[in-house]
Amino acid sequence: MRNFALPALIGLVLGVLAHLVSVLAMPRLALDDAFARLSQLGTPNAVSMVPDPTPLGATLPRMDPAFASAVCVYDLSGGALHIHVPAAPYYLSVSFYTRHGLAYYAINDRTAGRRATDLLLMTPAQRAALPEDEEITAADRLIIESPSSEGTVLIRSFVPERGERELVRARLAEARCGVTS
Amino acid sequence: MRLLAILLAFLIGGATAIVLTWYASARGNGFGAVQIGAWTAWPKAGTADADPYARAAFARSGELPLELADGIAFIATSDDDGRALDGRCDIRIRGRLPQARLWTLTLYDGRGRLIDNAAERYGFTSAEVVWNPDRGVEIVLAPRARPGNWLPTGGRDRVTAVLRLYDAPVDVGSGAGDRSSMPTVTQERCP
Repeated sequence: MRNFALPALIGLVLGVLAHLVSVLAMPRLALDDAFARLSQLGTPNAVSMVPDPTPLGATLPRMDPAFASAVCVYDLSGGALHIHVPAAPYYLSVSFYTRHGLAYYAINDRTAGRRATDLLLMTPAQRAALPEDEEITAADRLIIESPSSEGTVLIRSFVPERGERELVRARLAEARCGVTS
Repeated sequence: MRLLAILLAFLIGGATAIVLTWYASARGNGFGAVQIGAWTAWPKAGTADADPYARAAFARSGELPLELADGIAFIATSDDDGRALDGRCDIRIRGRLPQARLWTLTLYDGRGRLIDNAAERYGFTSAEVVWNPDRGVEIVLAPRARPGNWLPTGGRDRVTAVLRLYDAPVDVGSGAGDRSSMPTVTQERCP
């Protein structure tokens, strides 16, 4: 029996390691993650409308059918991103996710003051490189730091009843995102 | 003999990895679950502090978690007695809801898809639901039409209800809420 104690122990340690490595690597290995799915809707650094979920399919699993959504898949390697969020008649939120789906920031129409909002999204390095005077001119725009150079911005607005959906979607279609010149 | 030992090490290693991964995925979206009655939420999964298990679960499913500053999602896959939600039963969701600017209740099948129905009704929102006089709600999920707030289950054997509270006060996700702060989930008339 003693002969098998060591192999059993080695097996246990290997198993725990394999489990931890697979969990930690999952975000990088998953091919069909949210970023990949949303990237198929349009070009990066531009706003695309997300199709409303139906029983036949949805862009992402478990989307809330009571919302209309638009997305900006971003890549900050060419510079900071300017995001224009229109005012919506009902609840509206803007959520920020990294390349691997980590939610790092969100703002809603109440925190934004219920009017059209302009946001600047940049990496910590790009923010550090901002000249002082530009920091002042940009002060009226909210600056958000993205922990990764790629990611997604999800702009969603509540549709309280079916008849309002087209109105809400039209308003969301006014959202813009693009690299600042 | 040596071959047998190596084989044993690999067998035990494989079994350990499978058991741990199964256990982790059965836990849902990582640690820090807040459970109130039949409802479970993972508030931390919607923040930059999400643990590796939550990140792995979302990467694999392709879902994006609700940012906690946006809202919080409570998921029910079983009733108050711990029986799995069965779309062939009448599932009754009843009671008051935590404070929030708005809420939505959505019904999904076992794979997270909406359930097809002629009325194209997949859920209720706080704006359209019929409220009880006591500011509570009663929503029935059933295969056949019911008076009042009815959601068609399509007779699926496994269904999941998701209650999303948007722009909710921070304490809603802290686990401070007691049982009465969330609606009860009961099943009746099962086949």
